[in-house]
Amino acid sequence: MKTGLYLSISPLLVVALGGALLMLAEAFSHHREEHESRSAGPSSELALGTAITLFTGAIFAAAVWFVGPEKLDGSQDLAPWLIIDRFTLFFAFTICVGGGLASLLAGGYLPEHRIDRGEFYPLLTFSSVGAIILAAAGDVLTLFLGLEIMSLGVYALTGFRRGSARSTEASMKYFLLGSFAAALLLYGAALIYGATGHTDLAGIRAALVAGNLNYGLVLIAVTLMIVGLAFKISAVPFHMWTPDAYEGAPTPATSFMAVVVKSAAFATMLRVLLVAFGQPELSSWGAGWPPIIATLAVLTMTVANLIAGRQESVKRMLAYSSIAHAGYILVGVTTTMRLHEDGQASVMFYLLAYTVSTIGAFGALILCGSRGAEAVSYEDLSGLGKRHPAVALVFSLFLLSLAGVPPTAGFFGKLYIVKGAIGAGLYPLSVILLLNSVLGAYYYLRVLVFMYMREPAPGAPFARPMKSGYVTSALVLAAVAVVALGLFPTTSLEVAVRAALAP
Amino acid sequence: MLMAYASVAAFFLVAIGFILGSLLFGKVIRPNNMYAEKLETYECGEAPVGPAWFNFNPRFYIIALIYIVFDVEIAFVYPVATVFRRWVDAGRGMFALVEIFLFVVILMLGLVYVWVKGDLEWIRSIKGDPRGVQNVSSRTRPEIIKEHDLEEAMPQGAE
Repeated sequence: MKTGLYLSISPLLVVALGGALLMLAEAFSHHREEHESRSAGPSSELALGTAITLFTGAIFAAAVWFVGPEKLDGSQDLAPWLIIDRFTLFFAFTICVGGGLASLLAGGYLPEHRIDRGEFYPLLTFSSVGAIILAAAGDVLTLFLGLEIMSLGVYALTGFRRGSARSTEASMKYFLLGSFAAALLLYGAALIYGATGHTDLAGIRAALVAGNLNYGLVLIAVTLMIVGLAFKISAVPFHMWTPDAYEGAPTPATSFMAVVVKSAAFATMLRVLLVAFGQPELSSWGAGWPPIIATLAVLTMTVANLIAGRQESVKRMLAYSSIAHAGYILVGVTTTMRLHEDGQASVMFYLLAYTVSTIGAFGALILCGSRGAEAVSYEDLSGLGKRHPAVALVFSLFLLSLAGVPPTAGFFGKLYIVKGAIGAGLYPLSVILLLNSVLGAYYYLRVLVFMYMREPAPGAPFARPMKSGYVTSALVLAAVAVVALGLFPTTSLEVAVRAALAP
Repeated sequence: MLMAYASVAAFFLVAIGFILGSLLFGKVIRPNNMYAEKLETYECGEAPVGPAWFNFNPRFYIIALIYIVFDVEIAFVYPVATVFRRWVDAGRGMFALVEIFLFVVILMLGLVYVWVKGDLEWIRSIKGDPRGVQNVSSRTRPEIIKEHDLEEAMPQGAE
């Protein structure tokens, strides 16, 4: 009985146990007669419970980090299935923070929009468990397991608004394409097993280094696995489901998908590419995956930004913007081929900054609308700066962070990625990234223009902000994080550098 | 290397050829004598009632899902039972016992959940269930009703 083992997987255990308890709490609270007062449904306390569970998971991840997983006796016992290293802990922290903030958003959103059913919270928690498993997976089998645990919860969350045709369609679309992507990934895993005889990533690498393989099979396998993961991070041309799924899902579920699912998918993408296919012959410009990832990055950034500029719905614009951000992060993934640690650190820092900014932007959008007067289009937001200055101010902060304006977290995220790309000699990629951020600024600033410089047309409906302590607290936490990451970026970057996978 | 697949290709060709060949052979030699009774769905004389496209009771899906709890249990407990004696010999019997016990407890949580939710009853009772709203099928719903109104009309936790 090694306590070190249990301590090292404690973030996972805390979140899983919390999810099971929340599920039971939800089931037993269901029979209480409290549906008369709709404003305080059963989910209000559950939202708090979920947030506490996930933030505790984040604290445990940080605690294991400070002790150092290598000092805990038995922390490597689960390798290669679950690898507990600083990389895993960093992503577990990001995932738990993102999930906790999303559950706080749900605590305000679900009662307001009368879809106050408690299942949301256990689903969200179990999905976070899957995301942590995915980030920790050092074997293709656990990778697939984590991916499915994560995705099943999110499919249900997407279709949570059961009476709405749009939400159901979004869920159906996401489920079909998600299963398709999972099948491709599994097919790739099967082929790589056929070629190398290994399912663990380190073993695959050893077999590739030893040589004498069927390289045709390896090539097909790498491509299939990259395609499967590209679906999950919604890179162009595998992004078709994203706008519909993000728009149809309830907004807290959208923010969860945009943040947690993307972080976990990037974690596993980095681990697969760098551990299994990371030897110099496979990760150079002339051969291997870097050209594929770079092409995906360029396509994703450009296409998403061009389409996002044409959207009239703010939520759909944010969906396309999250695709564009996946493109920026893919540039960071490409730079890992030359700058091993710094490339990974830029990706991790960006994901942390992106997590708090995106949750904040979706949360501010939730706060801008109320039941029957939701904020959907740009026009709905016109004049908000005068009517509700606080809401407009916090929305502006998150949009500026997403656009990458200096004192915010988003700026340093972009800065480190561009710095890495230049350091790695990828000049065309960095120029394309910079041009794309200019494109992005157009549609982010357009929201500000409507909030501060337009008046609602006479007689036109405008959004009425809602009041919710949960959403407000989530926004305050996210805003503090955005500003703090913007003011002290070097500390978190050093943390990210230490988290980088060994070459 | 690729020639190793030649036998697979030959197998496919023979299989497809056999099916097509026998169908064609039957088509040529059998008499073609169709009349109304022969074209019925059930030749045994059962008259079909209504179209085949209708709504199934969603409870079937729920029951099938609950079955998974027991399905997974037997699928995982059985292999453990086969190697249990070896684990006892290795001095790790207690560990294996606790492990599989925890596994079953986690599965049972699922059973407790559906039980408390009332899904083990075929006809589930819902407090304050406005029957009239539930029985309106989605196809006959007027399009004018907004999505939010439907949400409200649906009772909490109703399927």
